[in-house]
Amino acid sequence: MLEVIDLTVAYGPVVALHAVSLTVLDGSMTAVLGANGAGKTTLVRTISGLTRPRGGSVRLDGHDITRLAPEEIARLGVAHVPQGQGVLAELTVDENLRLGGLWRRDPKGQRGALAEAYDLFPPLANRRHVAAFSLSGGERQMLSLGRALVARARVLLLDEPSLGLARLVLVQIMARLRTLVTERGLTVLLIEQNAKSALSVADEGIVLHLGKVVAQGRAQQLLGEERLRHAYLGF
Amino acid sequence: MVAVQSRLDRLVRPTFGRHLLFALAAAVVLLLLSSQIGAYDDYNLTAVAIFAVAAAGLNLLTGLNGQLSLGHGALMAIGAYTASLLLKDHHQFPVIVVLLAAVLSTGVIGIGFGYAAARLRGPYLAGATLTLAVAIPQVATRYKSIFGGESGLTVAPSSPPDWLGADFPPERWLAWIAFAAAIVTMVLLANLLRGAPGRAFKAVRDNEAAAALAGINVARTQVLAFVVSAACAGLAGALLAYWTGVTAPAGFTLALSLQLITAIVIGGLGSLAGAVWGSLVLVFVPLLTSGMASRLKLPSSIADNLPLAIYGGILVIAMLVAPHGIQGALRRILAYGRARWGNTPGGGQKGVVDWDDPAPDT
Amino acid sequence: MSRFFVLTLNGVTQGAIYAAMALALVMIWRATKVINFAQGAMAMFTSYLAVFAIEHGAPYWVGFLVALVSGLLLGAIVERVIVRPVESAPALNVVILTLGLLLFLEALAPMAFGGQIRSFPPAFSIVGLRLGTSQVPFSPFDLFTLGSVVAVMLLLLVLFQKTDLGLRMRASAFNPEVSRLLGIRVGRMLTLGWALASLVGALAGVLIAPSLLLYPTFMDDVLVFGFTGAVLGGLDSAVGAVVGGLLMGFALTYVGGYFGSDLETVGALVILIAVLMVRPSGLFSVQRVRQV
Repeated sequence: MLEVIDLTVAYGPVVALHAVSLTVLDGSMTAVLGANGAGKTTLVRTISGLTRPRGGSVRLDGHDITRLAPEEIARLGVAHVPQGQGVLAELTVDENLRLGGLWRRDPKGQRGALAEAYDLFPPLANRRHVAAFSLSGGERQMLSLGRALVARARVLLLDEPSLGLARLVLVQIMARLRTLVTERGLTVLLIEQNAKSALSVADEGIVLHLGKVVAQGRAQQLLGEERLRHAYLGF
Repeated sequence: MVAVQSRLDRLVRPTFGRHLLFALAAAVVLLLLSSQIGAYDDYNLTAVAIFAVAAAGLNLLTGLNGQLSLGHGALMAIGAYTASLLLKDHHQFPVIVVLLAAVLSTGVIGIGFGYAAARLRGPYLAGATLTLAVAIPQVATRYKSIFGGESGLTVAPSSPPDWLGADFPPERWLAWIAFAAAIVTMVLLANLLRGAPGRAFKAVRDNEAAAALAGINVARTQVLAFVVSAACAGLAGALLAYWTGVTAPAGFTLALSLQLITAIVIGGLGSLAGAVWGSLVLVFVPLLTSGMASRLKLPSSIADNLPLAIYGGILVIAMLVAPHGIQGALRRILAYGRARWGNTPGGGQKGVVDWDDPAPDT
Repeated sequence: MSRFFVLTLNGVTQGAIYAAMALALVMIWRATKVINFAQGAMAMFTSYLAVFAIEHGAPYWVGFLVALVSGLLLGAIVERVIVRPVESAPALNVVILTLGLLLFLEALAPMAFGGQIRSFPPAFSIVGLRLGTSQVPFSPFDLFTLGSVVAVMLLLLVLFQKTDLGLRMRASAFNPEVSRLLGIRVGRMLTLGWALASLVGALAGVLIAPSLLLYPTFMDDVLVFGFTGAVLGGLDSAVGAVVGGLLMGFALTYVGGYFGSDLETVGALVILIAVLMVRPSGLFSVQRVRQV
């Protein structure tokens, strides 16, 4: 379970997040929505430890992880896939995948996890030794998701996975994601500007506007709220 | 267009006037000072002025325009050799002619090197200038017949003009020349920097692409900065030739270029005043440490190397603790004082010979 | 024995040293985007430590080991203590930091060990090998020089390309932020990178000290030429560093041999400027989109 409690983040005089709270239960997906500049990326960067909050805390299964270094948070099973997928372009597909689980020093488990990832994303298996910069947008997204799986992540923070993806590919990836949540109990925090597609796969939704929470609730509910959709979600 | 021009003129002229006033005041102070102190102190102050000239130019190039040069010692060598060649075999030339010749020759070479280096960035430029620093002295060694090889060329000191009196110490005369050169350089640089070129230098340093989009000719800006800094180094080199009396390759090692960088960093990157502080440090640290060493009867292996160790240590510590150097620290103190005891708003008068600190990339 | 052949042999051994220095500089550049101008001075200091051990009775190979191990430690210490605190500062600040370290070490060495010029023992004989009836101007020590530089490079290649540790180091250099998100302790990888680079530099120091003699500034030229070689080859490319270093070795030897040793550095400067004018980021650089 991932809890964000009264999180306040500021860059100098600019307050990016203002006392934001949310809870993501194990084995569920929460969509974080809102316009550009609403603070969505700041939220996940703070959760993963890249940014230090000015106030508030982040808890993982009850443990306070607010002040931990990003690499320590990652080792607790939190995988943050940044905007643009964060794929290491100069390394090969295989090297990228392996990176996820290296810190475990468990060669056998690593091999198993790798095989699983290739199973789940067959296009990657065909391009194992290709440098990552030559992958398409969809393949890169698969690569970063696969990497999170190899890392045996329990919590996945996805920042705008739909960016640069063709609609069909996006639908497929969202479906895979949903499967992972349902079958493996993965906990997912999904940032999306494409609110409609996010809410259609998520369980819960939270809407940010200028750093504050303006709406929270079941995804289906939020989909039904017309005024909300018009005001903050663009549809 | 005309309206803009006249408005610009109105902006620039008072600044120029301010600069002149400040220069005049400085000249008077220095004149009085040098008449009170002895020849030895005049000698040291001359060194400060010489380094200040070179450091001011380098500060413009590196602090303001962001081009790191590790080769300005070599440019000083060019100025020094120009002066030495003119004065070879006891030829007499008025000091001003010698100095201008050095400025010209180094400036011209600055154009050449500046164009070659204009496309280079960061470490690549550093590499090229580093090689320059090591290569130039070798040229002097190679062409012995012209440049005097390892032993170099001797330069007769400039004798004070008759109207100053027969007893006028030559050290003071040289100090006056050096002060004059330093003041003129500072005024010219200060004006350059208040104007469009100064803004262009900073703009290119901060964001090249944006500067180009704003219509600034980046290559020309880079070359201009290089040429101006080279001219300053040439002037300083010529003065150095008079000061040391001998121009030889051993006087222009890599260490000289690095000491210039030390001076501008310790003094404060991007500020004219910083060039002066840095030069004071550069000249007086060795004097103080050797005085201390002889008092403490330190062995020569320690005494000789202490100044260098101190420079190095200061550089390292300064970067860790006070990256904006002395000028930055002064400015912080001033700002603190102003905030504490309140000053008339809008009276945020920067020092006449100051310009903005380079914005840290926080 | 043609002059060209002799010069070429010299060029290869010189080039190997510059290639090692260039490699050390590129390793640090790739890991932390810093030019370690103090690399030569650090190698000088570790050479002094080796000589100190040897002068106090240790056999040559112990001294050799002292140099390499102290190189490892010195690199790690410098990264952790001096460079890490300023990693977010503007690039110029870090450059100046390394310049300060250079000056400091070059002053510290004579203070600690005395400033007189010393000799440094070579690992093997410096007498040219015999090939049939003639003597080739290539000694066992030259062979050792070439061999150890090549060996170190191969070891590093294997480390970086074939091991998990190397993978982590490469990732940390390419994208420290993403690497952190993958659980990699990037700080440690950077320290290790500096340590290894400094090891390579230390090796260059003990290999060239016998011919240059040991004095506080003896590595200055090696730094300059190594740096020039690295710049020539493109700072982002380890292969470029090695090629650039070798090119420098050849260029300097040929210019020196045919035009006089005084013009060596001028020759280097001309070549450097010529290459940079055509490829401002070096021979092997990936041409990132950059207009002037």
